[in-house]
Amino acid sequence: MDEELTDGYHEPCPQCLSVDWGVSDAGQFFCRFCHNVIERVLLYEDAELLSTSSRVSSLSRASIKKRRELHRNWIVIEGFQFVLLHQAEALVSMGVCSQFKDDILYNFWKRYLQATNQAYTRAPLCYGEVEAVSDFTSESECPSELSFQSEPSLRGRRKRTASGSSGSVVSSGSMDGSSYSKRKSGDFMTMPRTLALCYLALLWVREGITLSDLLRFASEKHLPYINVHEYFPEEMTVFGRDCQYFKVESIPSYSHVHKDILKLARIMKLPAFPPVTPDCLLHPSLLSLRYLVELNLPDELHHWLCKVIKQANMAEQALLTFDYSKRPIGTSHFSYDLQACALIIVTMKLLFRLDDSKEWKLSKIADFADPDAKQYSLAFWHTTMHKALVLARKREKLHTANQQWKSSKPFILSERNKSVFLKRRRVVEYLQTRFQKLSGQAVETEPTKPSSFIFLWGDGEDSDGPSLHCQKLDCNLKKRRQTQLCANKKYWHPLLRPCNPTVCGDHFAEVEPTLPRMYVWLLDLFSFLLRVSSSLMHEEVLKVERRFFKGQAVQGTNKRTTKIKQNGKPKKK
Amino acid sequence: MQPGGSVDSVPLDADVSTGVEETASNEKGGSVNGPEIRSTCNMDDIEAEFHCHVVDENNEDYYNKPDPIRCKRYNAQMPKESGFRRSTSTCLELIRNAMLRHRWQEAAELMSSYMQMLEDTSVSKQLMACEIIWRLGTEILQHHPNAKQEDFDMFYQSIKNVRVNNYLKISLDHSFHLMLTGHMEDACRQLSNAQNWRYGNLSSVQLNLKKVIHAYCGYLQYLIWYSKKSKASGAENDSGSDHEMHSYFRQASVTLQEVLEQPGVWDPFVLSYVEMLEFYNDLEKAESVLKNYAYNERFPVNPNAYVYLYEFLKRHDAPQNKQLEILKILQTLVPSHELMLEYCNILLGTGLHDDLRKALTVVMDLLEYTSWKQNVDAWEHLNEIMEHLGNGHCLGEWESRKNLWLSLHFTSYHARKDAILSVKLVDVKIKFLTPLIKNYQEYTTAAYRVKKRKGKNGSQGYKASANTGKKKK
Repeated sequence: MDEELTDGYHEPCPQCLSVDWGVSDAGQFFCRFCHNVIERVLLYEDAELLSTSSRVSSLSRASIKKRRELHRNWIVIEGFQFVLLHQAEALVSMGVCSQFKDDILYNFWKRYLQATNQAYTRAPLCYGEVEAVSDFTSESECPSELSFQSEPSLRGRRKRTASGSSGSVVSSGSMDGSSYSKRKSGDFMTMPRTLALCYLALLWVREGITLSDLLRFASEKHLPYINVHEYFPEEMTVFGRDCQYFKVESIPSYSHVHKDILKLARIMKLPAFPPVTPDCLLHPSLLSLRYLVELNLPDELHHWLCKVIKQANMAEQALLTFDYSKRPIGTSHFSYDLQACALIIVTMKLLFRLDDSKEWKLSKIADFADPDAKQYSLAFWHTTMHKALVLARKREKLHTANQQWKSSKPFILSERNKSVFLKRRRVVEYLQTRFQKLSGQAVETEPTKPSSFIFLWGDGEDSDGPSLHCQKLDCNLKKRRQTQLCANKKYWHPLLRPCNPTVCGDHFAEVEPTLPRMYVWLLDLFSFLLRVSSSLMHEEVLKVERRFFKGQAVQGTNKRTTKIKQNGKPKKK
Repeated sequence: MQPGGSVDSVPLDADVSTGVEETASNEKGGSVNGPEIRSTCNMDDIEAEFHCHVVDENNEDYYNKPDPIRCKRYNAQMPKESGFRRSTSTCLELIRNAMLRHRWQEAAELMSSYMQMLEDTSVSKQLMACEIIWRLGTEILQHHPNAKQEDFDMFYQSIKNVRVNNYLKISLDHSFHLMLTGHMEDACRQLSNAQNWRYGNLSSVQLNLKKVIHAYCGYLQYLIWYSKKSKASGAENDSGSDHEMHSYFRQASVTLQEVLEQPGVWDPFVLSYVEMLEFYNDLEKAESVLKNYAYNERFPVNPNAYVYLYEFLKRHDAPQNKQLEILKILQTLVPSHELMLEYCNILLGTGLHDDLRKALTVVMDLLEYTSWKQNVDAWEHLNEIMEHLGNGHCLGEWESRKNLWLSLHFTSYHARKDAILSVKLVDVKIKFLTPLIKNYQEYTTAAYRVKKRKGKNGSQGYKASANTGKKKK
């Protein structure tokens, strides 16, 4: 009874911040949690009216009706559709071409729904109380189309299931929340898969956003991913079982999303993607240029890098084009960003050997050279880079520590505990503001702009160090008969024989202590850059090396210009 | 589970401010048998209790080449821990580092980010978070330059209502804080709120806490009474404030009486109650309270109870045999108690032969404790008793202890130490030794050698000995 009497009053209790008001016999409001009596008094319009039960029942009916008006029926994929919509909008606002949102992603989504029999089909899967999903196909006003253009999309077909959940026990805000994940096929939508779908669409339009970029944007909240339900319209209440689909407590790992990408491609039976041409940003030569800039490496390195790409046959169209159907299941791992970084590492190994001794000798020569000649010294680069890396790690750590995962609209798992969830949220917010006020922190920190670069090089105030892009590699090269050769004559590499991925897993942890420290540091640097593990990076380097030596062997037999001697582990070039 | 301090911690002259601090700090330090009520947090405790792994980031190597083991572990852990958990554990680690380096501003900023931990979905983590936030938050507020009393109040108020389990503990902590900042009446109000608080069935821990809260309620009323009293004595007699003071006395006496009926170590509470009763000249009641506290068998054995009783009797010039009786019990409980010298004095004063013999054993027992071994007073007492008693009567006692005492007090090592500490001590000890044993030169010669050397070096040693002698007293 108290609920109706205190219906309009939602102020938190000054004592304990909970909103759980009761009315005492004397008409005074009191907090049912801490029994604090406040000054507010219930004003009776007519004392007699209140005593009759009729008034109370009419009141309660009214409030329920009001609640029902606010609530609309929706299904889980509609929720994901909203997520995708907002992610697409965010990407477009970052500068991705508009075709991406209206054309590609929308079509991919449609294709996905159709392929998984969730919509656009004559025989849709039945989820719980939703019988009429097939309406999607017949109705011209299908929800996907609408919601990709404007938000209030749910209007048209709402009527048909208006009485859907009335009378049934509601354990979720959506209609199929409790049954959605029970489907056997395992091809239902998840939050990481929204990112995977976005990435596929980005790849189709050949935008220069790599997967690691996408994940970074998600964690930096430039891309809606954490607490997406905040973007949902009022009528879509996320509640109970729905939370398991939309509640995000971590940014998925690189390999996780990568697997999802491949899986989605398989489910959707995507055709071959548009080829990645040399003018496309995802082409290894351009992408590696981006990472060279990011890591403050000299531009001259790019020349050598292109040679490596050529030798390893990495610029091959067939290799670069994303085409799931032509790829056997075992060799599925292909990522542009990892590959570009691995190419840089291989090039650096080629030029400086990176065996903890040769690179220091070479840089000593560069250090003693004429300062006007701007000779690149790896030792100097290492010092500046390491300093910047430590700082970036610290920034990253602080960012992790300050990252807020909980939404201002808390997920309510059950009606019974609703007040507890809400109260806890209020306490958290209250304490946060108090502590922020205490430290004089600006409440609204201005949002940083999304950037592809983590480091900043140059003479600016907040730069990470001096720019080394224009430095020359002369000290590391030898001239012989008008052609330039590496001063470094040897090349080392770990065992290249690929092992069966199903039998044995990751060998990096075993090999790591035997690897040169400089190489491990470099792996560490790149893994920080791409937010992947060092072992994944190492694996990618090995892949490039395999291709490189394969190409070398082929060339060697044809031209007989270079000899490859293999005496045990280290290889001579 | 009883509140109260250890043997020597309770101030006898109840100066308000120091009294409060003493008791509060007793509680903070975690007294021997008191329940665990701590307002300050010890980082080690927290780490031990919450098993939080903290990587030392300040180790330079942390950012350098990663060592393989950590690398492996890191990779292995990666998929298990959710991003939310990683955020909060990193945050806790950074807060800890900031606090250890006294960067309170930074700690407060991070603390506001850490609050989200309260919304963790697992109940155990939530409980832990509540405790961590309470302890670290109060610590940060205590040191933060901008923190005001309202901040404390709001913090305690909201954190104590997050989870019911901690309500009583945090209330007690809150009132301690108010007490220390001199807001006696607010503290009292807090405690009475906590007393009336009820949420479901109380656990045994909560029951004990309620007892403690009740006791502190009485103690706070006493403190308010005390401050009113000192104000009233300073200013003109004002019937209004007098009346208020008396009403506090009544409240406090009712509460404290209830508390003192329950077995436990209630040292500061007994003292405060007795002080009030003495002020109102209700000596009989005071004596009965103290006697009950000392002699009641339900109470745990507590030497302080006898000390308080003895001191009370001494203050009010009670007959000597009564005092002796109490000191006798105290001697059996704590033979090394500082009152033992007083006991000897009283025994000497009677002049009876039996009492003298008794005094001899008391002093000799006393001197066998390390803390008394070099006490000049005690040795002088011993000599005095021997003078009164005559050598013949002492020999029996001496013979039984001879072997022990020669190695305990009279080796060349002791001579050197004693001579460095104080010349007087050496003299007194030699004076004691000479009549009892012939041809024992070890102590005397060693002491003589040191004295000689000291004489050469000037009077430095003497000064030092004088200083330490003062400290000893």
